[in-house]
Amino acid sequence: MFPDASAERDDADYVLCGAPLDRSTTFQPGARFGPRRVRQFAETFDDYDRRTGRRFSELGVHDAGDLDAFEDVTEYLDFLAGTLSDADDDGAVPILVGGEHTVSAAGVRATEPDVFVCLDAHLDLRESYAGDEYSHATVTRHVLDVADRAVVLGARAGSEAEWERADADDVTVVPPEDVAGWSPDFDDATEVYCSLDIDAADPGFAPGTGTMEPFGLAPRELQSVVRSVAPHASGFDLVEVNDRDDGQAAALGAKLLREFVYSHADARLAD
Amino acid sequence: MAREQTQVRDLGEGSYVMIDDAPCRITAYSTAKPGKHGSAKARVEGKGVFDENKRNFTQPVDAKVWVPIIQRKQGQVVSVESDDVAQVMALDTYETFTITSGDSDLAPDDEIEYLEMDEQRKIV
Repeated sequence: MFPDASAERDDADYVLCGAPLDRSTTFQPGARFGPRRVRQFAETFDDYDRRTGRRFSELGVHDAGDLDAFEDVTEYLDFLAGTLSDADDDGAVPILVGGEHTVSAAGVRATEPDVFVCLDAHLDLRESYAGDEYSHATVTRHVLDVADRAVVLGARAGSEAEWERADADDVTVVPPEDVAGWSPDFDDATEVYCSLDIDAADPGFAPGTGTMEPFGLAPRELQSVVRSVAPHASGFDLVEVNDRDDGQAAALGAKLLREFVYSHADARLAD
Repeated sequence: MAREQTQVRDLGEGSYVMIDDAPCRITAYSTAKPGKHGSAKARVEGKGVFDENKRNFTQPVDAKVWVPIIQRKQGQVVSVESDDVAQVMALDTYETFTITSGDSDLAPDDEIEYLEMDEQRKIV
């Protein structure tokens, strides 16, 4: 269980689900260990958050465990999207812990946001990668089948075709050097889904990820984005954490997941 | 209540199942495959036949569930009582009952099709 995620499912305001999908990793595998790793490295964090004055254990987070991956990725995403949409239908916010970035497609299908806000080193706008149309390198393209537009923060890598696709009106790319100055401009009616690919962080901070990309974001830049987007979000995910470091990627990801919950809950309870 | 038992694996989109004691038509059916542990599970999403509320459950595919026996029948409008209520006669038993017309624009002598389960009826 994710530490302090002790709410019963029927009482939950947030439903956390692990999705250890690890089938299309192009460099360093291990995303299947992401959910377990994130839960493990969240154990040291205090329940109490000084900034919001909230206790995580009192915010109604339920850990629904993992949906173990299976071979047919389209069927897996169908089942996962259904599970997450059940939470959404019950008025809870789905929180997905990957697994490779492909799982975000299920989170977006479950919540049907207007805008996909994604922290990621990569554009993930390929039509396919190595013949695989559901590769983790294609997820933003799949998301845009549902969401009206995507905002990719911290992107610094992509193919020429991806950068050309990113020039379209429905994609906004905020390079790493501009992320600190970015703030959301969503009105209250705009539904947002927030996806955190841990490789958005500089690999010096989060080496435990499948495809490290230097010149990335600092933890406080990630924290600032998560805090500012959370009040607008109807879903959140943390993806691409693997077990190939000493816990830096998992600890950073787990802390940002908690930041999301504190910030989202604080805004909700203040209304 | 008119119902029969079946296994979750035998359900599919478009078929009927009881969810939370309400007859529902299945709108989505997906399965998760088992690995070394656990059994295959199915997630079933349905819409209430008579109340149109969305309901769902996730259960092992070999679990037993109740399927409502819903009959599709023919009727004839006897009279229209208001914008959303009509008197209808069943063409098989000649029993007369009131039915909510919903979006249907009904007039006397119109022949209609309706779903019936126990005392619940709905125009299709």
